[in-house]
Amino acid sequence: MRKILVLAVVAVLAVSVVACAQKPKEKPTIKIGVQEALTGDWAYEGQGILNAVNLLAEQVNSAGGLLDGRKVEIIPGDNKSDAKESALSAQKLINSGVIAVIGSYGSTVTEAAQKLYDEKGIVHIATASTATRLTEHGYKRFFRICSSDDRQGLCAADLIVNKLGLKKVAIIHDNTTYAKGLADWTKKYLEERGANIVFFDALTPKEKDYTAILTRVKAAQPEVWYYTGYYPEAALLVRQAADIGLKAQFMTGDASNNPEFVRLAGVEYAKGALITTPPQPADLPYPEAKKFLEDYKAKFGKYPESIWSLMGADAFRVLVEAIKQTNSDDPGKIADYLHNQLKNFPGITGPIEGFDERGERKGSTYEVYTVNDQGQIVPYKK
Amino acid sequence: MEQFVQQFLNGLTVGSGYALVALGYTMVYGVLKLINFAHGDLFMLGAYLALSTTLTLLAAGVATPWVVVLAAFAASMSLVGLTGVFIERTAYRPLRRATRLAPVVSALGAAVVIQNGVMLAYGANYQVFPEGLVAVGGWRVAGMTIPLFRVAMLVVSLCLMGILYLFVQRTTVGAAIRAVSLDHDTARLMGIDVDRIIMLVFLIGPALGAAAGIMIGLYYRQIHFTMGWVYGLKAFTAAILGGIGNIPGAMVGGMILGLFETLAAGYISSAWKDAFAFLLLIAILVVRPTGLLGERVAEKL
Repeated sequence: MRKILVLAVVAVLAVSVVACAQKPKEKPTIKIGVQEALTGDWAYEGQGILNAVNLLAEQVNSAGGLLDGRKVEIIPGDNKSDAKESALSAQKLINSGVIAVIGSYGSTVTEAAQKLYDEKGIVHIATASTATRLTEHGYKRFFRICSSDDRQGLCAADLIVNKLGLKKVAIIHDNTTYAKGLADWTKKYLEERGANIVFFDALTPKEKDYTAILTRVKAAQPEVWYYTGYYPEAALLVRQAADIGLKAQFMTGDASNNPEFVRLAGVEYAKGALITTPPQPADLPYPEAKKFLEDYKAKFGKYPESIWSLMGADAFRVLVEAIKQTNSDDPGKIADYLHNQLKNFPGITGPIEGFDERGERKGSTYEVYTVNDQGQIVPYKK
Repeated sequence: MEQFVQQFLNGLTVGSGYALVALGYTMVYGVLKLINFAHGDLFMLGAYLALSTTLTLLAAGVATPWVVVLAAFAASMSLVGLTGVFIERTAYRPLRRATRLAPVVSALGAAVVIQNGVMLAYGANYQVFPEGLVAVGGWRVAGMTIPLFRVAMLVVSLCLMGILYLFVQRTTVGAAIRAVSLDHDTARLMGIDVDRIIMLVFLIGPALGAAAGIMIGLYYRQIHFTMGWVYGLKAFTAAILGGIGNIPGAMVGGMILGLFETLAAGYISSAWKDAFAFLLLIAILVVRPTGLLGERVAEKL
């Protein structure tokens, strides 16, 4: 009996060795990681970004791949919307040999992974992390394809003081890297313009009941209140504010530039809200954008819902461009190209003038949108 | 003054939600000496099942709001109760003779399964309850707006707690539950079917959690598969605060936690809300280690 077992094992091993030897040598793939929230709180955004990148990678591969026939392999990493998991998934991606990583949605999780990629010299392009801090650490191969918060703060302050002519402002954030950063920048620019900050505090995200903090805001009697956090809480705030009779103008930041905000709050409550944000996918006039939207719809059956999926797509496109132009997959050369040679690349989210020495995308993309009576998020015209 | 009354009412409502969920924790601990970490996710499951029920009924053309709401309560509470029983049979009963740690780990496992199961079944988005199911208006009293539904939530929670209290204190079955929480073997000697009683506890506890979930879903309208974690943690805190294993304790603990948390957030700092909740827990436990209403039970040898 034992002899038969041994013979069987040897036979299997022999066959597998022969099989391996028969396989034609395939060229090594170019591995690009996508580290996003595929599960957890931001799964909705993270999965959208991954879809966008997968779509483009497929297009590149069916057109023959890069660097003389090498296929692009997208390796997803799930940071579960959590900083600790972000560090773990970053490690996993590094171990699988990626040359660049695209990600993430959420400054807190991006910050957790930045340092790890920097230590290994991997190019890291952030898709939807707007905290200004991220480019101030001095990581040489970190880039940001979206615009940062200090420009959004400026946009918000300008809107309140110059366009709306209001002076008493309440600001609420949720202590995440992004929200607090945006809140601080807005406060700074508002104070420079002579506005009066009547309330500035944070709420705890992921809860349901915010009437405690809203009652305090109401007591401070602001003319406008600005919530700098994410869309689920924004939706809850807007409803509960109406419940307790807080009537001031509501404003929120780009994390609420998402049809989910309107869906969760209900059109009745969301209408009239002002949102500072980069432009919406459907409003982008560029031909690359329109083509991308149609391709996405053809593959996934619906249009990408938020601008962040398009940011992910642009991150991939600049990487591909860098690989093509430098004719190499070396992260150092790619980073160098992106810093010094990428000029006026036709991005889906607008012409990408280039990246500055800190990795910031040059120029600013912030505008003001509003929720109209039908619940659509449209550009705001005064 | 107006602010204080509003915050007080907020606190009561939030507290009654915690109390309902805390009851589930405390009952299970009472009979099994086990912290059922899957309980928070059962609360979340209750909200999701109620959502499915309301959407199905509305799509089928049932127009009367209160019929839909009642049906949602009935369907969700019974289904979650059955889920509770199922979890007990599969995750806890086989481990009854094992070390104290094994069922706890099993509970965590069950929690992960439920959470991710809901995410896979319903999707990663936040889900929203349809409009128009509950009264949206409020009473204008002395210049304040008191939302109707909050008062309704408070009343329903108190009724459910009252019914449970009477059930446990005044009926034979309730006496059996109390007997099992004191000592399994002696209860068995008295002729009580311990397994049956445990099954009943796992039916009632999760059902109450589901009721809380449904009300949260109907009022705040927004539910997510991760909401069980935070809520469950607070409810667990409330149960410990009142004395784990003690049913009135869970109710008292929940109300006090909700009130204290809301008033502290309202008057001191909203950013430190959770910190206040846990500081309260630490303070009470330092003074009374068994919790507010907990009794010193002689350890079995």
